[in-house]
Amino acid sequence: MKLTRRRALQFGAAMALIGYHGGRAQARDAGDGLRRWYHLVLRLVRHTPTYSPPVASRAFAYLGVAAYQAVASGSASLISLEGQLNGLTALPRRTPGESYSDAVIQHSVMATAVRAFFGNTGPTGQRVMTATEKKLRTDAQAGVAEDVIARSIAYGDALTAAIIAWSETDGGAVIANMGFPLDYKLTAGKARWVPTSAIRQQQFPLLPDWGRNRTFAMPDGATCPLPPPPDYSEDPDSDFYREAREVYDTTRSLTVDQEAIARFWSDDPMLSPTPPGHWIQIALERLAAESASLDRTAEVLMVLGIAMADAFIGCWNAKYQYDLLRPVTYIRRVIDPAWEPLLITPPFPEYPSGHSTQSGAAAAVLTKLLGARVSFTDTTHVRDGLEPRHFASFEAAAQEAGISRLYGGIHFRAAIERGLDQGRCIGQHALALRTRSST
Amino acid sequence: MKRVVLAVLAGLVVLRPAAASEEMIVPRFSDETQASGINSVYAGEWQYMVGGGAAVFDCNADGFPDVLLAGGEKPANFYVNTARQGGPLTFARQPSGLEFDAVTGAYPLDIDSDGIMDVVVLRVGENIIMKGEGNCRFSRSNEAWGFDGGDGWSTAFAAIWEKDAAWPTLAIGNYIDRTQELEPWGSCTPNWLHRPAPGAKGFAPPLPLTPSYCPLSMLFTDWSNSGTADLRVSNDREYYEGGQEQMWRMTPGKPPQLYSKAEGWRYLRIWGMGIAGYDLDADGYQEYALTSMADNKLQTLAKPPQQGTRPEPSYKDVAWAKGATAHRPFMGDDLRPSTGWHTEFQDVNNDGRADLFIAKGNVSEMPDFAMKDPNNLLVQGVDGKFIEMAGVAGVASLAQARGGAVTDFNLDGLVDLLVVNRNSTAEIWRNTTPGAGNWIAVQLKQPAPNTGGVGAMVEVRTAEGVQRREITVGGGHASGQAGWIHFGIGDAVHADLRVRWPGEDWGEPITVPVNGFAIVDKIGPAAHAWRPAR
Repeated sequence: MKLTRRRALQFGAAMALIGYHGGRAQARDAGDGLRRWYHLVLRLVRHTPTYSPPVASRAFAYLGVAAYQAVASGSASLISLEGQLNGLTALPRRTPGESYSDAVIQHSVMATAVRAFFGNTGPTGQRVMTATEKKLRTDAQAGVAEDVIARSIAYGDALTAAIIAWSETDGGAVIANMGFPLDYKLTAGKARWVPTSAIRQQQFPLLPDWGRNRTFAMPDGATCPLPPPPDYSEDPDSDFYREAREVYDTTRSLTVDQEAIARFWSDDPMLSPTPPGHWIQIALERLAAESASLDRTAEVLMVLGIAMADAFIGCWNAKYQYDLLRPVTYIRRVIDPAWEPLLITPPFPEYPSGHSTQSGAAAAVLTKLLGARVSFTDTTHVRDGLEPRHFASFEAAAQEAGISRLYGGIHFRAAIERGLDQGRCIGQHALALRTRSST
Repeated sequence: MKRVVLAVLAGLVVLRPAAASEEMIVPRFSDETQASGINSVYAGEWQYMVGGGAAVFDCNADGFPDVLLAGGEKPANFYVNTARQGGPLTFARQPSGLEFDAVTGAYPLDIDSDGIMDVVVLRVGENIIMKGEGNCRFSRSNEAWGFDGGDGWSTAFAAIWEKDAAWPTLAIGNYIDRTQELEPWGSCTPNWLHRPAPGAKGFAPPLPLTPSYCPLSMLFTDWSNSGTADLRVSNDREYYEGGQEQMWRMTPGKPPQLYSKAEGWRYLRIWGMGIAGYDLDADGYQEYALTSMADNKLQTLAKPPQQGTRPEPSYKDVAWAKGATAHRPFMGDDLRPSTGWHTEFQDVNNDGRADLFIAKGNVSEMPDFAMKDPNNLLVQGVDGKFIEMAGVAGVASLAQARGGAVTDFNLDGLVDLLVVNRNSTAEIWRNTTPGAGNWIAVQLKQPAPNTGGVGAMVEVRTAEGVQRREITVGGGHASGQAGWIHFGIGDAVHADLRVRWPGEDWGEPITVPVNGFAIVDKIGPAAHAWRPAR
């Protein structure tokens, strides 16, 4: 094991290669190879049509577990997740006394797992996966003895196979028709969700059964319940009307910054890495900034991925419990028939806000693992022409992500505030995982 | 005219209740691929996942449209049309000089206005302009005409004669930077605008049309009914970052300018693959079909302008309301979302209403999308809604369709169908629709420049109504046509036609022969009838 780690450290210190994005030469740390895989995953999330935010969160969770176990399986300090995650009882072990390369195992695991989770991507994604695998394999195997490479690859393959087999029983493995059911009975009632777009495929809501998926770290999708939304009413003195009026009034007098906030956190599927990918990007930037080691990189990405995946399951569980209509439906019905929200209204029920729930969970995790007073600049959408935004803390970023949905005209305030609360609750379950022997 | 009551076909056609009682002429096509002599496959690896176009035009002055088919990695194939009027569709492969490899698509255009069609060949690599020499022979003219063919991955084309220009303006859409193996996304390369060289024949150095967002279709079109065409660009969101659908305002002598949100242009991001325009409701403003994946659009102006005012370039999607979403296969057991490519409005049953063809086919084994993805033939009813009839018509091929053409190959007054497929041979169907309506077919002719009247608007007025269509070069998916302009006119037995020649007001109406061909010469007093020699 010492040999393996030393080799990894030597590798990380010695390599000064061209950075993955752009042309700047920079020294590589041991976690860099994993982060480069994640950069590819962020691209694949954007460019694989089934990857709506819940589906993306699931992939981040399983990839995180795979990456973490690749390291933990040979670590004296990291604790295996066997028995800690729902349905994950036992995983293949390394053979005692044999030498392995963490970097080679990590590469092998990611190469196989990424191809498994993104096997449905288009021809360009397939091509990039092949090219990336080739390039990173060369880096991972540099200086490692042939027998160690072979043994490490074999172990990585076995580990990945076990994790993929585990993933296939969670209820979210098969996504048909891009997540939209071919048949679905809408609930009757003025308060209930109705389709909000003219896109034929979206006349039924996205992934109505997602809230019943097996969770990772919390018992089930109903673990962090939230109170019901304000009672539906068209009375101007009602809470419901007031919340709708707030959305209407706010969106009709948006400041430049409010519009920028709405667009920054819009994180549309197929046009961005999606909301969970946005938080992964934030984490990757912070981990790169501190040249995080492989085990720390894997640990943070694993806990973050699990928190967000559970957040989407919990959020979807509540969404289909309350089945609330969207602001565009209510405001056009009651306040202004010609009103247009700034953002495209997502094709599923309103309460709670998915971005808020998963941002609350993500911020809880990153605050605990990276620090409560970590200020950072978020450059997630620079390539799409959106200016970076600066945040004083992860919690501040989560708050902004939440309120962005009100500025965008797609959520009421209750869905945002209670969504953030729900996310914080779910995040604690992920943080309760035992990852280090010293904790 | 024999009518077929659609209701009796309920077992064969997917019907919407509102349309079930309508009487519609059900189109019928006969697959004549095997006997046609056409055997051309669009094939190749990654760089040929898009493209696969056809150029359809008459190059030997017999009136019958000849065909150039892109071959991808293999050489393109040229076929001369050997059909007889009303007979089977037959072609003969013939050397033409157009047989380049790496061809993605092609568009015919009489660039030098000598009355002979030239061809713009889009390629992975250098684009090539081939000058028509007559009798279906062509010669390279890049150098002679100052055309910079570049070294891109070209996937879209459109052309127009700007006001008072002696040479056309060419727009070429370029796709991904194909050298970017690890980061192809966000690597869209600049589109080019080739304007005429000042004071001389040929073209000036190309002007980058940036930002560029990986278009798969472009179309110069007079969307505002102002007499001036702007450039619509449909972009593939798979590859751009920060992009959207675009329309460039074309002002002669000035750089093109993008229409902005402040002017009404709406933010739309789709996997844009094909554009077709047609004034479906005869209000003077065209509707536009945009093909995509799982989400095809049919756009109409969001706010029809008041009399005498210019409309905002603001469109709303009426595809669902009009029954034109074609978002997933309408037949078979593969119900995954569809992938749309070439699209074109033509009246396939001559009932006086434009119908909509969409070529369908998986990009390349993308399992989230249908692999058995039949082409669509959306037939317009009297209520303006479309009904899927590709199955009953016999054109619901499950091949991986790309480009195509809906045109009258045997000059019998019924538009036939040619489709280019990826990894399998192109297919061709003869239109044999029983009980089809009457028709007219015209060609525009004017002295140089712009001999074919590109940019003109043609209006046909009959007892059954008014139809208008624009003469365009561009749109579809990597596929262009030049030749007869076809109108079905239903039961009408008399048709008056007038033309708004480019840059001019509407001309006087002239009578054109029904169920026949006519040349409409700008300097002639009347349309003169034309008949095929065989």
